Amino acid sequence: MKALKEPMTFVQGWRFLTIGALLYLWIAHEAKTGSYLLILLLLVLASLRWRFGRLPVWTAFADAAVCLAFVPFSDIGVYGLALPIFEFALKGKWAVSLLFFAGLLVPSLPSSLLFWLYVQAFLFGAFACTALGHQRDYKREADEQRKARQELERIRLELLEANRAVSRQAELMERHRISRQLHDHLGHDLTGASLALQAYEYVSDPAEARELLREVGNRLERSTTRLREAVHNMTPVTPIGADSLAYIARNFRHAGIADIRFRQSGDMQRVAPHMWELLEACLKEALTNIVRHSNASEAEVELQASETIVRLRIGDNGTVHPGDLSGSGIRGLQMRARALGGSLSRGWDNGFTLVCVLPLEQGGGIDETADSRR
Amino acid sequence: MRVLATIPFTLLRMVRSYIVLLLLLAMPILLLTVFAFILKGAVTETGEPYLYQTAITMVLTFQLFGGSIVMSYIQTDFFSEFRARIFALPFNRTMYAFSIMMCGTVYSILMGLILMAYTQFVLGVAWTNWLWAIYILSLMSILSSVVYLIITFAVKSFKTAERLSVLYGVSFVTLAGLFFPMPDNAFFRFMGSYGNPLALSVEAVLNMSRSNSGGAWFQANLLLAVTVVLFALMLLVGRRRMA
Amino acid sequence: MTIFHFALKRSFGNRANLLFLTLFPIACIFLPSGEGWPFLPYGYQYFGIFILFASIRLAAIMLEDRAKGVVKRLAVAPVSHLRYISQNLLAYLCIMVVQCAVVVIGGLLYGQQLYQPAWLMLLYISFSAASLAVALAWISLYRNKEISFLVFMPIVFLVAILGGIMMPVDIFPEGLRRLAVVFPTYWLAKGLDWIAFGESIGPFLLVNGVLWLYAVVFVIMGSARKIE
Repeated sequence: MKALKEPMTFVQGWRFLTIGALLYLWIAHEAKTGSYLLILLLLVLASLRWRFGRLPVWTAFADAAVCLAFVPFSDIGVYGLALPIFEFALKGKWAVSLLFFAGLLVPSLPSSLLFWLYVQAFLFGAFACTALGHQRDYKREADEQRKARQELERIRLELLEANRAVSRQAELMERHRISRQLHDHLGHDLTGASLALQAYEYVSDPAEARELLREVGNRLERSTTRLREAVHNMTPVTPIGADSLAYIARNFRHAGIADIRFRQSGDMQRVAPHMWELLEACLKEALTNIVRHSNASEAEVELQASETIVRLRIGDNGTVHPGDLSGSGIRGLQMRARALGGSLSRGWDNGFTLVCVLPLEQGGGIDETADSRR
Repeated sequence: MRVLATIPFTLLRMVRSYIVLLLLLAMPILLLTVFAFILKGAVTETGEPYLYQTAITMVLTFQLFGGSIVMSYIQTDFFSEFRARIFALPFNRTMYAFSIMMCGTVYSILMGLILMAYTQFVLGVAWTNWLWAIYILSLMSILSSVVYLIITFAVKSFKTAERLSVLYGVSFVTLAGLFFPMPDNAFFRFMGSYGNPLALSVEAVLNMSRSNSGGAWFQANLLLAVTVVLFALMLLVGRRRMA
Repeated sequence: MTIFHFALKRSFGNRANLLFLTLFPIACIFLPSGEGWPFLPYGYQYFGIFILFASIRLAAIMLEDRAKGVVKRLAVAPVSHLRYISQNLLAYLCIMVVQCAVVVIGGLLYGQQLYQPAWLMLLYISFSAASLAVALAWISLYRNKEISFLVFMPIVFLVAILGGIMMPVDIFPEGLRRLAVVFPTYWLAKGLDWIAFGESIGPFLLVNGVLWLYAVVFVIMGSARKIE
């Protein structure tokens, strides 16, 4: 049924109806049997057009030639000129189309009827030309839009993947740096202390033994100092991981929500850095929405990390139903959550609830043998 | 009675088959309309319009093919698609077969009635004796069902049965001389009148409308006798086939 | 020409087709002549109906291809759709030409009054072409072979009656008589009348031209490629 609503259907219908009209003229006016050939030839051309969709524009000259060939034998040839008029108007060749109005010059026919027949053929052809042209343009534009959208989608996915690759790379580099630091500063001293203790067992002179013990003590003290320094150096000042979430939640208390409770459970180390970024964004977005749109007095933030997933739940006790608050912020976060293989969902049952679930990679953390440079 | 409960559904099945409606209802209506246009106003010597005889012949000819409904349902229910299901049902199978036969025959008669009504009220054919026409119509319908069933039971392959049954219908139409005149010898004259159920039924209706009730009853009784004999034959062949 | 050969073989592979295609033409030879009308013996007047039935039975073989999924395989084979249709139609036309020859030559041998047998043969061949084309266009509307045949049957009878094969067009009222021109059977009937009475070749050529044009039109309409 959808095919019936295309402009092309009406064009084909017009062609066959006109041939039907010519046939009716033939039947009603007792024309000679020979001129039935005219109608059949026009029918052949019309069915060629129907079968092949679009024929080149010069084929309309074939229609015209057939009609003109029969003009000496039958009036129907002159009526049949409406067909080439239509075809040329359909392809946008107005001048050639108007040329066939010369059929009006044939004296023996009711020229007023003929005139209006030609005019309606011309006008319908012109209208169909513009309609089909517009249809073509719309289709082309829709195709281009779709292509651009798919391109954008692809780039977005690549960015998310790059994000993940970068966080992997960063963690690997950090690990490498820490191992080097430990090796450089601590390994040296601890190995020396251990060797000195071993030597102590074989030394008989008490003075030398005391000397060795002091050596061990010195080295251990240096190691402890170095370790404390290294840890202190590596401990970030800015909160990361679960601490950052708690920090954010605490800060929002000043923004208008009376009480925000933060709870966490599970091994937070298993969560990858790029996931923390998403969880922070989710928390900020949810709390911003609560402050801006809801009348809640308290909110609750729950962070759980299990064997396979990490789950962040933000809920409030507000009663305002925001309707459809699917702002672009939430949509973007949903897209990112999906790109990481997780999900972000909202509910409005008891106040507003936002739940973000992300899957954790098995084996706990980064696999160093995995090729992250893909 | 369980079989009684199936009758409405059998009728529904029959009404839903659009091919049957097309071939046994739409086609005769179209043909009759065309003939009505062609034979408008043409009358025989006795003043009887040609269309009257044509209408009777057409209605009764299509009754010749009415048995195809019964044949196809008996075939699907007892011999092919639904065989396992029907055989698993807790009712009397013979009664069910009869109920199908009855429904099919009634359906065919109903379509004949619709045709008669169409010719009377739309095309203006005056059927002089409706009751008699309906009686002859019913006889033809039952005969057709019986013959079709005999063919179905007697022949192994259903396709062959279908073709034989069409051959039955077409042969008697041809032998009645409706396509072209038959050779003028004793055999063909017999097959064109007393040996031909179509000819018998058409003559019966015509005779009754021409007030020749004696002739009409004779032909009707011949039809009845043939129907009864073939009915017995059908029971025999059917029993053998079912066993 | 593989498709051509297989189309020939398949046309006779079906036992019913075999019987139909061989018995009917032979039966047509022996049908009697009419008084007054028709001008040719009944068998030759009604042969057109046989041609219509034969062409739908043959064209339905292509419908079988569509139903069995052969067309899907052909779509990926190096066989163009044009080749497929043209070879099938050519095979069926050859079969029909043989039927026409059997009827005409058989009639001559039996002694039927055929007036101008050579032109009669040409007329039958032209009508066979038109009829095959109509059958091709008809099957493009259907998926089921049996149903296409069953619905075609009443149409054949209607077209035969309205075209003037079963009764002369002259007894029709004015409107129906002019309308009859649309049916190919009208042109067959006209051709048969010319065979009995005609002198100049012009009208006969017109009749054949019209029938071949019908063939062209319906082949174009029925040749759209359908995979399912």
